[in-house]
Amino acid sequence: MIDHTKLSPDKTSSSIETLCDEAKEYGFASVCVNPYWVPLVSKGLQGSNVKVCTVISFPLGSTLPEAKVEEARLAMEAGASELDMVMNIGAMRSGNNELVEKDIRGVVDVARQKGGLVKVILEVGYLTDEQVIRACGIAEAAGADFVKTATGFGPMGATVHHVRIMREAVGERIGVKAAGGIRNFKDALRMIAAGASRIGTSAGVEIMEGYRWADLSEAWVDIEEIPCKLCPVRAANAAKMPKDVYSYYKSRCRDCPHRDTYNRFYWR
Amino acid sequence: MKIFGWHGKVLRVNLSSEKTASEEIEGEILNGFVGGRGLGVKMLYDELQPGVDPLSPGNKLVFAVGPVTGTGAPMSGRHAVVSKSPLTGGVFDSNSGGSFGVELKFTGFDAVVLEEKASSPVYVYVSNGGAEIRDASAAWGRDTQETTRWLLEDASPKARVACIGPAGENLVRIACIVNDYHRAAGRGGLGAVLGSKNVKALVVEGDTKTHVANELAFAEVTKSIAFLLKKQPLTKDSLPTFGTSVLVNIINEHGMFPTRNFTEGVFNDAEAISGEKLKERIFLKPYACRSCPVGCGRITSVEGQEVGGPEYETLWALGAQCGVNNLEDVALVNHFCNTLGLDTISMGSAIGCAMDLSARGLIDEKMRWGDSKKMVSLVRETAYKRGLGGDLAEGSRALAQKYGAPELAMQVKGLELPAYDPRGAQGQALAYATSNRGGCHLRAYMIGPEVLGAPTLVDRFEWQAKPKLVRLFQDFSAAMDTMIMCRFSSFAIAVEHYAHLLSAVVGVSFDTQRFLQLGERIWTLERLFNAREGFDHTDDALPTRFLEHPLEEGGSRGMKVHLSEMLGSYYRVRGWDEKGNPRPELLARLGLKA
Repeated sequence: MIDHTKLSPDKTSSSIETLCDEAKEYGFASVCVNPYWVPLVSKGLQGSNVKVCTVISFPLGSTLPEAKVEEARLAMEAGASELDMVMNIGAMRSGNNELVEKDIRGVVDVARQKGGLVKVILEVGYLTDEQVIRACGIAEAAGADFVKTATGFGPMGATVHHVRIMREAVGERIGVKAAGGIRNFKDALRMIAAGASRIGTSAGVEIMEGYRWADLSEAWVDIEEIPCKLCPVRAANAAKMPKDVYSYYKSRCRDCPHRDTYNRFYWR
Repeated sequence: MKIFGWHGKVLRVNLSSEKTASEEIEGEILNGFVGGRGLGVKMLYDELQPGVDPLSPGNKLVFAVGPVTGTGAPMSGRHAVVSKSPLTGGVFDSNSGGSFGVELKFTGFDAVVLEEKASSPVYVYVSNGGAEIRDASAAWGRDTQETTRWLLEDASPKARVACIGPAGENLVRIACIVNDYHRAAGRGGLGAVLGSKNVKALVVEGDTKTHVANELAFAEVTKSIAFLLKKQPLTKDSLPTFGTSVLVNIINEHGMFPTRNFTEGVFNDAEAISGEKLKERIFLKPYACRSCPVGCGRITSVEGQEVGGPEYETLWALGAQCGVNNLEDVALVNHFCNTLGLDTISMGSAIGCAMDLSARGLIDEKMRWGDSKKMVSLVRETAYKRGLGGDLAEGSRALAQKYGAPELAMQVKGLELPAYDPRGAQGQALAYATSNRGGCHLRAYMIGPEVLGAPTLVDRFEWQAKPKLVRLFQDFSAAMDTMIMCRFSSFAIAVEHYAHLLSAVVGVSFDTQRFLQLGERIWTLERLFNAREGFDHTDDALPTRFLEHPLEEGGSRGMKVHLSEMLGSYYRVRGWDEKGNPRPELLARLGLKA
């Protein structure tokens, strides 16, 4: 269920090889890398059940639909079988649903020809809840196999809130991938409880090793989660977000019933 | 029958009759208590007379290693010293790194028990299945560095030495046992127990191999442990780069860096005594215990000498606890403590307590916060029990009691608290209060999950579910202390790995549940030992400062410890009655008798 991921641009071939070894050792779902590394990962995973995953139009998603198609075609030819594409965020925010769907469908068609699957990255930190829900509907209509929260390079990572509304939007019809800032087994368990069916993380080994502790005490889950610590508002950042999205989150905080109980203390 | 991991032998040294004897250890005891802390506690529970004076010949002192010691497994180069503590009056184990433990294992013994009292100063030389009691008159009065050098000349340059300094000789209740020049079984005053027996040192040397039951499984699990140690940021980067002192800034930022005898949780000058500053100003090279790939120890330069430390706890105890912000002064006083054979945590805490008493006009001696010159003289006076040092030598509890302000001693069960204000971490607070050896962070290092996020971060201010987690960490730590593995390994590896490693070495199957039950058995036996010595639930307490006075500034502002809310739940989770006594059914399950 884990996509073992390294997408930062400074990674070297040896670290990608290690990533493959770890994925085989722990039985991860896929290794997710930038397109340049796909041939190396293909070779490194040969003979295993671990899939090769790469990213398309990453991390901005603002390129032409035709360019995404070509990028997807080259990636599939190089050995990828899962494509995590970034949706056209600007078009989505502009209400151009038609273009967003076309953009996704083009990549889905390429993947389907070779039996691959497509995950659509919504980059939730640029969207309001209404836009997230709408984007889920468009991705599903365009034939995507998963909707995915974030690139890890945007203004906000995966939050329980977003995974939950994404799962509600797509039902059990397609998958939900939580990605961005998932660092330990408690983060992962929270995402799974909220409806995630795939986890994208660069901390796969830490999560699996930490998970060994989960069965040893009920306390890990009994310890009360402070709502404000998990709330997307906590991650809202005026410097990185569109102003309207930032204001949207802040307004949620003002009306939140938890505000008086937790906020004063936990917002330091 | 061939046994693996263990040698199955204990060396008994009767210091009054000057006789030594090698005895077989029963298989049932090895399987049930394994080694190190567990083995030592079991022997003392079975053999000590209840109520024995810790500094009398009737007390015993056990040096013990575990089945994994000497196998080359990562982070397994440790030994335990176990006795009845002259500081707390309860059962006490203190473990230390370096190379001494591995060398002790090479002598062919799993434990050395020192009994009775020598008529004049001696040292005990143990090698390959035998031992001699030798004259140490020439070393008596010397500091730990001179003593180590003298013993290596007198016994063998290849030997390893664990010795006491003047503090241990003078029966100072916060005296430690120093091995390999600057590692120490620091806490609980066990150096005084050695001194009370007229034993200056234990010197070990040998080449007896430890046999591993399943070489293939051992290779697999140690490879896996080495991989994970290289993966975890704390063991991969933080500890090798800065040593334990990396914690100074982290804990200060959380508002739980005890300052001026725990009156504050933020030390404004923390940066000046931080790991970063240590690296910049006095660091010479890292130091690793035997078979450790991490190397968190520091070798530093103090007044032109190459010395060991200071560690995080020492930077705090001799720094923020006393209001001292000069790194070089802290390092120098740390060096004096090492050479005189004093536990730096208890020493710093006792001085902080004295400074607090002085600030309130409760003692005549004038001293001000941050006066490092005064600290130097107090450390020396303590080791030789002169002046106010005579009071400090009895520990903070006795000191504060004597001057009419017992609430100013920051201790639990007589042991001075370490460098984490419990108001900032409720689990650590409960772990302090219920610790069998008193105010200690290592019986359950809750700072791992509550601050460092190892294995995962939990809310440090929550208290309702903490009893379950504290119990898990107490049992886990007790089991780890039997193997013996370094506490820092647990940042990277899980209970399962320890169980696999132990199974591979001894050839007896330990799954995680059996491994944790091993810890629970030891924990419960320690509780029984202490109950026999008169401890009860009222000793599961914290200084009132933590319960009644919230911290005023910093990241833990407004917090108090919710001890009473946690304690009842903790007893239930442990299977103890409301008075904190283990119930008969629990004892039956663990195979223990009250």
